[in-house]
Amino acid sequence: MALLLQEKKLSNRKNYVLIGLGVLLFIVVLFSLQSGAYTIPSVDVLKILSSHFGADTGATSIQKNVLLHIRLPRLLMALMVGGGLGIAGAALQGLFRNPLVEPGLIGVSSGAALAAVCLFVFGASFPWLPNLMGAFTLPMAAFVGGLAVTMLVYRLSQAGGKTDISLLILAGVALNALAGALIGLSLFYADDAALRSFTFWSMGDVGGTTWSKVHIALPIIGIACLLLGKQHKGLNGIAIGEAEAYHMGINVQRLKIYVLVLSALIVGTGVSVTGAIGFVGLIVPHLIRLTIGSDHKIVLPASFLMGAILLSLSDLIARMIIMPAEMPIGIITAIIGAPFFIWLIINVKKLRS
Amino acid sequence: MIKADNINFWIKNRRVLENIYLQLNVGELKVVLGPNGAGKSSLFKILSGEATCKLGAVAYNGRNLQQYNAAHLAMVRSVMPQSSQLSFPFFAKEVVEMGLMNINNHNPTYSIQEVMLQTNTWHLKNQLYGNLSGGEKQRVQFSRALVQIWEEKPYPRYLLLDEPTSSMDISQQHQLLHLLLGLKKRNIGILVILHDLNLAALYADSLILLKEGKVIANGVKDEVLTAENLFQTFDYPIEVLRHPVTGKPLIAPQPVHTNFQQTIKSA
Repeated sequence: MALLLQEKKLSNRKNYVLIGLGVLLFIVVLFSLQSGAYTIPSVDVLKILSSHFGADTGATSIQKNVLLHIRLPRLLMALMVGGGLGIAGAALQGLFRNPLVEPGLIGVSSGAALAAVCLFVFGASFPWLPNLMGAFTLPMAAFVGGLAVTMLVYRLSQAGGKTDISLLILAGVALNALAGALIGLSLFYADDAALRSFTFWSMGDVGGTTWSKVHIALPIIGIACLLLGKQHKGLNGIAIGEAEAYHMGINVQRLKIYVLVLSALIVGTGVSVTGAIGFVGLIVPHLIRLTIGSDHKIVLPASFLMGAILLSLSDLIARMIIMPAEMPIGIITAIIGAPFFIWLIINVKKLRS
Repeated sequence: MIKADNINFWIKNRRVLENIYLQLNVGELKVVLGPNGAGKSSLFKILSGEATCKLGAVAYNGRNLQQYNAAHLAMVRSVMPQSSQLSFPFFAKEVVEMGLMNINNHNPTYSIQEVMLQTNTWHLKNQLYGNLSGGEKQRVQFSRALVQIWEEKPYPRYLLLDEPTSSMDISQQHQLLHLLLGLKKRNIGILVILHDLNLAALYADSLILLKEGKVIANGVKDEVLTAENLFQTFDYPIEVLRHPVTGKPLIAPQPVHTNFQQTIKSA
């Protein structure tokens, strides 16, 4: 009986953490919508939002415009990209069986960036490309670039049918460096207009998000996240071992391709709209595992929530800290993320000794 | 029945298995014995579907292994490999639960508890797997494999174990094999790789002796467990006596120095 009670406590804790994250998200959302260079009281925020669903409101049109056309799309983008980075980070760590993996390390971000740069610089030579895919051109290019580099890193890290983690990290470092060099090389050939659009894009920020961008990124990232969240069984199996996962009925090869493609889709799309944002995919799954254990059934959705909270909070800080100017959000996540990464390394060292 | 026909397997141009035939029936406990590098684990991987052989075929219940997908195969056979390294901290009970991830079990909570009580791991359920001792980890992994085929089903199923007792103390070793004796009565066939010849002598129904990828002997226990066969397999003098209580074969290896003297005498 006493043992049963303990078990209940554990599952209750998981529920509490999920509920807690939900509440936290709501608070961050509300706070994020009301603060900025032009303050909108939270009562008005709720009023305007509900008026969107048919209720009457006394809010001014400035409030309405700021909220509906500047803050809301921007917040949605931060939530989606942050959540996507969180869940992709958790899934990739699970797949590679290593807690130090993050989308940046295995080349998703740099591959996506390289493809985006190529599109900015050489896109004019392929006029049929935008005609074919319209507004999806940039996200698609970023996705293909991210996927290609990730696949290459993954291939290089395979030794004897298994993923060799030291090879993986070496391959990641090498291909990231190569991608960086190729980005530099492409910029060398860029004209002023291409250079300008790349510079703005590479600053990595969710400012200037328009509804049209949200309309493209939101469904892609959203659907990919939903599909990725369904891979929890397989990722749990992989945590015991690739062979063991197969013994328990997981199609390991299919799982690997699923997770890689979906992660590349999420991160590539994210990179294409906001630039490369580091560390979210690394920190978030760790925080989650520390609090509620390793079961991917909870880790994946909780990582999404936590990533969404972290990035929207970082965005809030980014636009509050030097008001009315804004700091690129990548700087904020790196300032939080880098010390955390160091703390992580120290702890891994302790665990090993 | 698991039926393996003419299994041949190469690793980097080295032939590790040569023309292996074997059958595993339900209700049978078959033990694979052999020295290091005999090809036991390769055979095990081929039987479990983890590796595919270029030449030869494995069939489960009359159907070729290639025709099963992973999920379907998991319902028919359960596998415990030599050792498993977890990449993230899981509780012992979470590890056991994973055995049911693709299984249609009507009362998972009950099955998990029953299995963990039987394997003497229920008291470890809320401990982190990484903090357990080697033998405890093996028992938890054994439970995971066991729970996958615990609930009775109308079709024949199989359990494959690769050195499941290697880190266990003597009492746990015998408890595990005793559990297998009960399990084989439930329409289940069991194949175990062992290193302990006496465990094999006490619990096996049939044996396969492997050496350098070839079968030295294959058949019922009493026919296979002879001094000549064992010498041929292990290149080491081993006496086969009778167990004073059970009357089953009792394996008595000779100490190395006796071995030496004999060699000197014969020379």
